[in-house]
Amino acid sequence: MSRLGPLHHARLQTVLAVCAVAAAVALPVVLLSVGRGVVSHEINALSTSGYQLVVSGPGEYGIVQAHSLARQIDAVPTVAAASPILSVAVDLSAPGGGPVPLLAEGVIPAAFTATLSPQESGLFPNPLPLGDPTDSAHFAGGSYSGPAIDDLLVSTPLASADGLTVGSTVRLALSSQTGNGTAFRITGTFGVPPSIFGSTAAFAGLLPLSDLQLLVGAATNGTSGVIDAANEVDVGLAGSATMSPAAVSTAQRTVQALVPYDTVSALSTEVSQLETADTILTGFYVALSSISLSIGLVFLTVVLLRRVEADRSLMAIRRAIGEPARSLAATWARDAVTMGAAGAVGGVIAGIVVVKILAADGPPTVAQIAGFAVFDPVVLGLLALSVVGLAALVSLAATRRALALPLAEVLRG
Amino acid sequence: MSSPPLVHVAGASREFPAGKVRALDSVELSFGRGEFLSIEGPSGCGKTTLLNLIGLLDRPTAGRIEWAGADTTGWREGERARRRLEGVGFIFQRFFLLPTMTARENVEMPLRARGRPTAERRARALELLEEVGLTSRADAYPHQLSGGEEQRVAIARSLANQPPLLLADEPTGELDIAHAGEVMDLLQRAHTIHGATVVVVTHNPDVAARARRHLTIRDGRLVRDTAQE
Repeated sequence: MSRLGPLHHARLQTVLAVCAVAAAVALPVVLLSVGRGVVSHEINALSTSGYQLVVSGPGEYGIVQAHSLARQIDAVPTVAAASPILSVAVDLSAPGGGPVPLLAEGVIPAAFTATLSPQESGLFPNPLPLGDPTDSAHFAGGSYSGPAIDDLLVSTPLASADGLTVGSTVRLALSSQTGNGTAFRITGTFGVPPSIFGSTAAFAGLLPLSDLQLLVGAATNGTSGVIDAANEVDVGLAGSATMSPAAVSTAQRTVQALVPYDTVSALSTEVSQLETADTILTGFYVALSSISLSIGLVFLTVVLLRRVEADRSLMAIRRAIGEPARSLAATWARDAVTMGAAGAVGGVIAGIVVVKILAADGPPTVAQIAGFAVFDPVVLGLLALSVVGLAALVSLAATRRALALPLAEVLRG
Repeated sequence: MSSPPLVHVAGASREFPAGKVRALDSVELSFGRGEFLSIEGPSGCGKTTLLNLIGLLDRPTAGRIEWAGADTTGWREGERARRRLEGVGFIFQRFFLLPTMTARENVEMPLRARGRPTAERRARALELLEEVGLTSRADAYPHQLSGGEEQRVAIARSLANQPPLLLADEPTGELDIAHAGEVMDLLQRAHTIHGATVVVVTHNPDVAARARRHLTIRDGRLVRDTAQE
């Protein structure tokens, strides 16, 4: 028996209905796969980070006595490394070129390297070619009387954009000091990790903490002596403590006791917040998608109802012969489910293809985000099953219409 | 105690809401098993309306229809469909074969609706197609059949469940004389061999001549009911 006969019978309507459902399904596929992919990427980045705690304080630079604080935190038993970081926007002037903005990050080289994640480690030279790995010689206990290193690492995008080469000399200065500044020798480059929510490192440079502090006036001031400022201190825990929420929490409390007026946050908290955000966003995507799914299913319903009208004499003869209502319902459910399933599969494929195209040929940011997409077979399967279930449900409208046909009138023609 | 008639039309009327047209007016009629009736009359006089009421395709607005002594008035649509499936074979002027099914599948349809096993319904369909001389056309679709062949398939379909009542509405209306004769021969045969009660609505005197009892309707009223000796 030709089971799909009615579908062949109205091919154009069938194709249009399948396309409508496919378009309706493609939207949630894109939203869910990209949205969840981005969040998963960030959660993964946080979970595999080389540090678990971040100390930050209020004010322009936040942390004071950064070298001293790092040593105190280092002394906490479960802590492997504490890396103070000072981030300041400065101007970089290469010979023969105008100033370009640079996000300068002052670090203690050894501590910075110790708090890199495995993924990040591959992006930086090891050891960092920034002279004294502990930055203690130049810092000299807060006197800044040691020899300055004046070495600089620049990101590969910056080096590429401005023709900076290892061994060349550039000048760094605060924007207000353009024309003066300090000469730095470029001793290497570093790669840029993919990031969406974090600050971009594309136009960043790394230099010794004490060098940057002196350059931007974060080493001392005229009234209160040494301030030894940083914006934050990244704290990496040792061994199994990194994986233990209890150990992280204990270390967080211990470090907090050292800096009662600053904030000590755990990345695990951020992961938890991101997971919550992911749940909320998924709900939002589903709500948004329900609009497109509703439109697709309304279209499917209209097509089914039109088909009842087109086939009204056939419906009438089947009823006249005595075919039970459940048999008619099965006919329409089969049609609706076939179209719904075809649309769902088509929509999933279309959604995946759209994301792949965006990842390959979209604008850089879009391509990067699309590249994080995760096609979870369970989510996509549930989406397709929902559509098929709803299609079966809307077939009831067609069945109802078919059962309401006035037999005598229809058969008389 | 005598058994009740197969069908009793008890003062049945049918009005259509649009324009309040009274298509059938207080018709009183009974017939039993094994009869061959014709319903005659001019166009629009109510013949098909009466046939639809007898076949439970429509409901009277007044009066009632009884099947084997049972009042059908209270039967819900599901019950009416079941009774139609088991008790009536319909033959229409325009055949009404399902275009997406082969001749055999069309004949199988009432058997499938009754839940008969595949092998049984296939055998029964082929048997009926042989009876109407269409064995070789079993796998043909309706658009591949001539009008006469389509109506023969429709007759085979109407006989599939061996119903006691065959209702034919202008069964030869779209056929030439030769094919009309073939179709009436088959109805005659169903009446004679299967013992089915046959009710034929027709304009055609040759068709009406096959019947043993003639009903004439004018303006919705049954004006003549004559039995042929």
